[in-house]
Amino acid sequence: MKSWQRYAGVFFLALAALAIQQSVWVLRLFDHGQPGSGFMPFGLGVILGVLAICLIAINLGPEEQQVPFWEPRAWLRPLLAIGITAAYVVVFDDIGAITSVVVLVVCWLFFVEHKSAPVSALTGVLTGLVVYLVFERFLQTPFPRGILF
Amino acid sequence: MFDVAGLWLGFQIAFSPVNLLWGLIGCVLGTAVGVLPGLGPAATIALLLPISMKMGSPVTAIILMSGIFYGAMYGGSTTSILLKIPGEAASVVTCIDGYEMAKQGRAGPALGIAAIGSFIAGTIGLIGLTAMAPPLAEAALKFGPAEYFSLTVLGLLLATYLTGDSPLKGLTMAILGLMLGCIGLDPLSGAVRFDFGVADLQSNIDFVTLAMGLFGVGEILFSLEKSETASILTTKIKNVFPTLADLARSGWAMVRGSVIGFLVGILPGGGAVLSSLISYAVEKKVSKHPEEFGHGAIEGVAGPESANNAAASSSFIPLLTLGIPGNASTAMIFAALLIHGITPGPFLLKEHADVFWGVVASMYIGNVMLLVLNLPLVGIWVQLLRVPYAFMAPLIMVLTLVGVYSVNNSVFDIWVMLVMGIFGYLARKLKFDLGPLLLAFVLGPIMERSLRQALLISNGDFAIFFVRPISGALMAIAILFVTYNLWAARKEKRKAQAKAA
Repeated sequence: MKSWQRYAGVFFLALAALAIQQSVWVLRLFDHGQPGSGFMPFGLGVILGVLAICLIAINLGPEEQQVPFWEPRAWLRPLLAIGITAAYVVVFDDIGAITSVVVLVVCWLFFVEHKSAPVSALTGVLTGLVVYLVFERFLQTPFPRGILF
Repeated sequence: MFDVAGLWLGFQIAFSPVNLLWGLIGCVLGTAVGVLPGLGPAATIALLLPISMKMGSPVTAIILMSGIFYGAMYGGSTTSILLKIPGEAASVVTCIDGYEMAKQGRAGPALGIAAIGSFIAGTIGLIGLTAMAPPLAEAALKFGPAEYFSLTVLGLLLATYLTGDSPLKGLTMAILGLMLGCIGLDPLSGAVRFDFGVADLQSNIDFVTLAMGLFGVGEILFSLEKSETASILTTKIKNVFPTLADLARSGWAMVRGSVIGFLVGILPGGGAVLSSLISYAVEKKVSKHPEEFGHGAIEGVAGPESANNAAASSSFIPLLTLGIPGNASTAMIFAALLIHGITPGPFLLKEHADVFWGVVASMYIGNVMLLVLNLPLVGIWVQLLRVPYAFMAPLIMVLTLVGVYSVNNSVFDIWVMLVMGIFGYLARKLKFDLGPLLLAFVLGPIMERSLRQALLISNGDFAIFFVRPISGALMAIAILFVTYNLWAARKEKRKAQAKAA
């Protein structure tokens, strides 16, 4: 786990460096002698940098006990869920909101939760219907039209 | 001491059929999310933010959200007692003695005392809120930019130190939240910051998008790792109404829990979790039978459950009077008020008395609703635990995706939410508390505006934060607080090293 904490520290350090770089080179630290738009981000970047270095420093050295970041194959279901959701966003505008909701729920239940095809399909269609009634009819959300609806 | 006219106005608003209905929906939803492990009140309020925007009246929207917040405190005890899994973070300590009571066949009295304690403490907290909020709002009118900056600094420090295990990680999250708040238009000069040429980033990251990503998507991804399902204790739930002996043993625990919860709840970051932990420690300390704690002591349920409800009520004091939310859930309510064009703070009571008193009065009514929902109807909530999470996860995901799109009709917002969700998932795995991030994101613009305005007034002299009496006092408290915590941590480390040697 210590190594992952160190990676997190490096990530925050990189963010801090980016904030400082943008504040100094792109934004203005001071404007007519007064704090400018880069003043606060610069200060925050410096503090974040110090905190990131502290985080890396206290996590140096060997692991006290071997705790895996992920249990065997525990990453698979979250990764599948992320993939399905990303695919949903990609096709959202093209196939329409309601159809993409149905596809998302069916894929999620079938691939992530390993439910049978009929159960997944039925749940997907019912969810699409509820979203249509609540958001499109009741709340009048202007969803993108797609191939079916 | 009491603004009777204000409270009367509030009850007139809260008793309108629409507000009663939404108040009831909020209490039911709150109890449900409290009962169900995995989805907390902050995530639920985030999910409902887009729907609240479609509600015409801000009072109704805030009544719904407050109902979810304090309703979750009631419901959280059910899973703690029956499953030994806290439905809500504030019910962690209830697991200890509540589950032991259930194993001894006393699940009914444990659930009953939790509901009664919650009702009494919630009402005491509300009386405190009604009495303290107006004078505090009056006093806050004297606050200038320097005072607001010092107050936000103190609030963020308290929030990062009092929540989570590691102040370093809490502070890192808070700074990250402040930095995310800097993306987009500068509130003073109008310059665009950190847009990297992406037009969608020029208009700031939306609070709903961030909250739904961190708390909605992040929570779902995290819960997907665990495929095992907990089994409900197969004890029969009977005698939900506690006996006189149980009430006599729990009476003072409820009073102490209410007072502790009320005081801790006012502090930013204090909130329901910390107050329940303190209450449990106090009960164990003052008990004539401390050996019974951990083996089904009813005071170990009554005290913490009272404390977390009182804290939920009193956490509205800094939110409504100073405009400073103390935890993730009140930060969501803060955002909901802003969405409806209302700025929480000292002027709220003067300019939107209907919102202030309507919400306060609805909380009195909501407490009664929750007592009814949680005492005779506890069996229904237990049945809710049998709904498989496998079906709930994709449905919650759909609600977040469609909900976030409906705010700005922007696909870019969905991408931002997904990225924030992945970040939230990894942060949870690395034990970074996301509460300070969200609080800082909300407080960031107030903090930056106050800082730059104060420096403008003082011609760039930072001494303004220390020489003005209120600001100086707040800064002194912040410095003392950090110094004390650093000293305590150092002492603890030396003690551990000496022990190891």
